[in-house]
Amino acid sequence: MSKLKQRLSKALKHTARSLWMIMPMLVAVIGLIGLFETVITPEMLRSLFNGSTFREIIVGILSGGVSVGQPFLSYAIGGELLHDGVSLYAVTAFILSFVTLGVVQLPLEWALFGTRFTVVRNLLSLLFAFLISVATVYLLECFQ
Amino acid sequence: MSPKETAVKKRKKSGMVMLGIVALLYLITFFLSPETGKQALAASGGVLKMIAPILLIVFFLMALLNTSIDSKYIAKHLGKESGVKGWLIALGGGILSHGPAYVWYPMLSEMREQGARDGLIVAFFYTRSIKLPWLPLMVSYFGLLFTVLLTFFVILSAWLQGLIADRLLSK
Repeated sequence: MSKLKQRLSKALKHTARSLWMIMPMLVAVIGLIGLFETVITPEMLRSLFNGSTFREIIVGILSGGVSVGQPFLSYAIGGELLHDGVSLYAVTAFILSFVTLGVVQLPLEWALFGTRFTVVRNLLSLLFAFLISVATVYLLECFQ
Repeated sequence: MSPKETAVKKRKKSGMVMLGIVALLYLITFFLSPETGKQALAASGGVLKMIAPILLIVFFLMALLNTSIDSKYIAKHLGKESGVKGWLIALGGGILSHGPAYVWYPMLSEMREQGARDGLIVAFFYTRSIKLPWLPLMVSYFGLLFTVLLTFFVILSAWLQGLIADRLLSK
């Protein structure tokens, strides 16, 4: 019992130290999220979408990547974009990159996982946001 | 100084630099538009309030991980030889995890240091885009078929990305 207590105390100390170490970066990321949430508005995003489907998908991925907030926000903004005539391809790309890409989280990811991991993971997310949006909407149109 | 100590020092330094940059950005925002600065600060406070309980859960999960699970166990279930079980843990864990991704970074980085595969971490991150509590809302906005197709492709591509990441990141 005392051995377990000792291990638990050691683990708690180790965990607290780990969290304390990343605290400055975590606070910085939270601060950035607040700034992005305030400066980048849904209206601003809407104004970016105009052009070919391909261009709109790219805009969808990039704008999703810089947007921050709860996932339901991406559905609400996506729904509005769709209503405004933006293609479902672009909206799907936006919804996906809203959650899988995070420009504001990059510094923390880089600090904890290193440059190589961060670059590979984010490039894969970017590429797959494009592929998934095309595959999903193409199949949806085939079924309907 | 050991490589681990150097990495820890580097991490702390980069955190302080980043914090300084963000503080400067806030100063500039307050200077240009005090109202926007106040709104941004309030938004950050809201984020902090939202993630605090999840951060607490992650803290206890990390402590539990350090107490009861050793690196051999992690290497066996999430390492190179983890097989299908590893994929299922990563994909399922990503779907079930709650809160923003960055809250999970510290725990996942510790697991990685203890032998968890990069591909599984990449897969975990990607399936996090499936938000179970929000799926009904997605259905109401975009329809059931869209939601089913998107969910299917996210799981499939999380696995594919994991495989590619393993190839690209293996030393």
